[in-house]
Amino acid sequence: MLLQQLINGITLGAVYALIALGYTMVYGILELINFAHGEIYMLGAYVAIVTLSFLTFSGLTAKSLLLSLLIAGIVSMIYCGAYGLTLEKVAYRPLRHAPRLSPLISAIGMSIFLQNYVMLTQGSADKIFPHIFPADSITMGNATLTYLQGFIIVTSVILMLALQAFTKKTRLGKAMRATAQDKKMASLVGIDINTVIVVTFITGSVLAAAAGIMVAMYYGLINFYMGYVAGIKAFTAAVLGGIGNIQGAVMGGFLLGILESLGAAYISSEYKDAFAFIVLILILILKPTGLLGERVPEKV
Amino acid sequence: MRKRYTVFSLLIGFSILSILTLNSCAKKETTIRIGVVGPMTGDQSKMGLDVKNGTELAVKEWNQKGGVLGKKIELLVEDDQHDPKQAVAVANKLVNAGAAGIIGHFNSSASIPASAVYNKSKVPMITPASTNPQLTEQGFEYVFRVCGRDDQQGLVAAIFVSDVLKLKKVAVIHDKTTYGQGLADEFKKALGDKVAVVYYSGVIQGDKDFRSVLTAIKGKKPELLYFGGIYPEGGLLIKQARELGINIPFMSGDGVIDRKFIEIAGPASEGSYLTFSPDPANIPSAKGFLNSYKSSYGEAGPYSIYAYDAANIMLQAIADTQSADGEKISKTIHNMKHSGALGALQWDVKGDVLRSPYIVWVTKNGKFEEYWKPSEASQ
Repeated sequence: MLLQQLINGITLGAVYALIALGYTMVYGILELINFAHGEIYMLGAYVAIVTLSFLTFSGLTAKSLLLSLLIAGIVSMIYCGAYGLTLEKVAYRPLRHAPRLSPLISAIGMSIFLQNYVMLTQGSADKIFPHIFPADSITMGNATLTYLQGFIIVTSVILMLALQAFTKKTRLGKAMRATAQDKKMASLVGIDINTVIVVTFITGSVLAAAAGIMVAMYYGLINFYMGYVAGIKAFTAAVLGGIGNIQGAVMGGFLLGILESLGAAYISSEYKDAFAFIVLILILILKPTGLLGERVPEKV
Repeated sequence: MRKRYTVFSLLIGFSILSILTLNSCAKKETTIRIGVVGPMTGDQSKMGLDVKNGTELAVKEWNQKGGVLGKKIELLVEDDQHDPKQAVAVANKLVNAGAAGIIGHFNSSASIPASAVYNKSKVPMITPASTNPQLTEQGFEYVFRVCGRDDQQGLVAAIFVSDVLKLKKVAVIHDKTTYGQGLADEFKKALGDKVAVVYYSGVIQGDKDFRSVLTAIKGKKPELLYFGGIYPEGGLLIKQARELGINIPFMSGDGVIDRKFIEIAGPASEGSYLTFSPDPANIPSAKGFLNSYKSSYGEAGPYSIYAYDAANIMLQAIADTQSADGEKISKTIHNMKHSGALGALQWDVKGDVLRSPYIVWVTKNGKFEEYWKPSEASQ
């Protein structure tokens, strides 16, 4: 049974980790907690459902499931990337030099706005995601890993590795890390800070969109307020690993997913959501910088 | 200049306000107001809208016949979001708006706190769907229901599990709401010593991931999974249970018997047992209702017909009493013999219907079918 709980937890954790990356990257550069990030994840799920319904209607889903998932994924990622960009331009850039509290309030405002915007345009009822993924599974002893769970874990890991390669190997990624270390110094050596910030928001949003699509497929049910709890949990994951730290966010996400699964199974399923917050409180008391430590810029 | 402008705009403001108040005073004179409340938005909105549509249909028919007491009937629709706090707030709002009677609420957890408000203000309420026994055990004179009670429902489920399926071990999950936990408790109580409950726990309403609790259940090797709650969680539970390779029968109550359950769970919903009242399609008196509902709103939901009858009962009582006085209306309902779409209905002192049979349904080929009927003696 423990193996099964670990599979459940890792799947959940992969999703938390993807969302947490967006939080942590934005924090790393702007020291801003982007509370509207959970809403981007929700938008990703909605765009995917709309695209997939359209593809199902046109008959493509029946012909090639993987291709239509890929199309839905790409459409949703582009859409959410655009949202991330707009979010930064509309809500955060005008407040770049304002006191730290102002962008935070602006973020909460955007979160409320986006939730209500989706509620008004898409309706308040739950949307049911089409059952397109085969329900087959691989059995290992008395634990089962469904194809969908495997798909989620593998896709998440690929996206995380891609992000790692992006930040470590590319010019833009290097610029990103430089900006995270010292914004002023980076701009003095010729890095366009605005471009770096925009790219950070877009990357985070694209990852959140991927998480949104996978969750929608996993549960088969989405609604306009799904981003709220997921956002808070991902934020917890980011804090758990050390906010601003990319490896930390990934580790925090997986750890939180596993903790939540085991807590619900062995302690009480009635307080499942509470475990995430207990973890958050404990981390803030015992090790406020997170497990891997906050990204400490080598400031001299 | 600026001062004159302010005075001018104030004047306009006041005149608009006075027109509005005049208008609402005038309205009170010419209409009888009926409130309908349920979860109109959010995950359970399908159920709320079923109730709203059923009530609306009854009101429309009465208005076509000329209304009641010579006045048109005005329907006030309110959304309680299946939240107890919100339920009390909208109950007060409806009382203040001068509603003569209330159809609702849907969820027991909303109906019970709201019933105290209505009872205090002497506004009769008829719930189409709240089945928790506690609602009518409060000794309130102004509270009625047209549906059955969970002690009856839980008993039928328990008899079915122990005598028909002949099982020995079950797992029970509920959604921690008044309805869900209440039904689960009644089921557990009715099982007695005959069947062992090897797992009993609650899940969070609105949660989407039940895999960890289901995995824990899998380890206990029960022969049936019982769920007290509503379709969004019910659908996800059975879907995720099947994905985890839990291939035992699933059983639940009237909160789950809606086509949304089948949509959410997909093929996993096949073979689920659900307790509910008999199919209205087999009741001759329901035929007219089902046809006119279908032409206005599409396929009737499980509780559409209950809302329709509840509204008819309320309006009939107002017509019989020849007044919109809550005290008199409630007395009339207590002594009423109503024959509506559901057939003949009568109420006891508590406000429960005298006879409300529960039967077991099964999900087959993506549809709900009547499956098993307990003998009259056991009801």
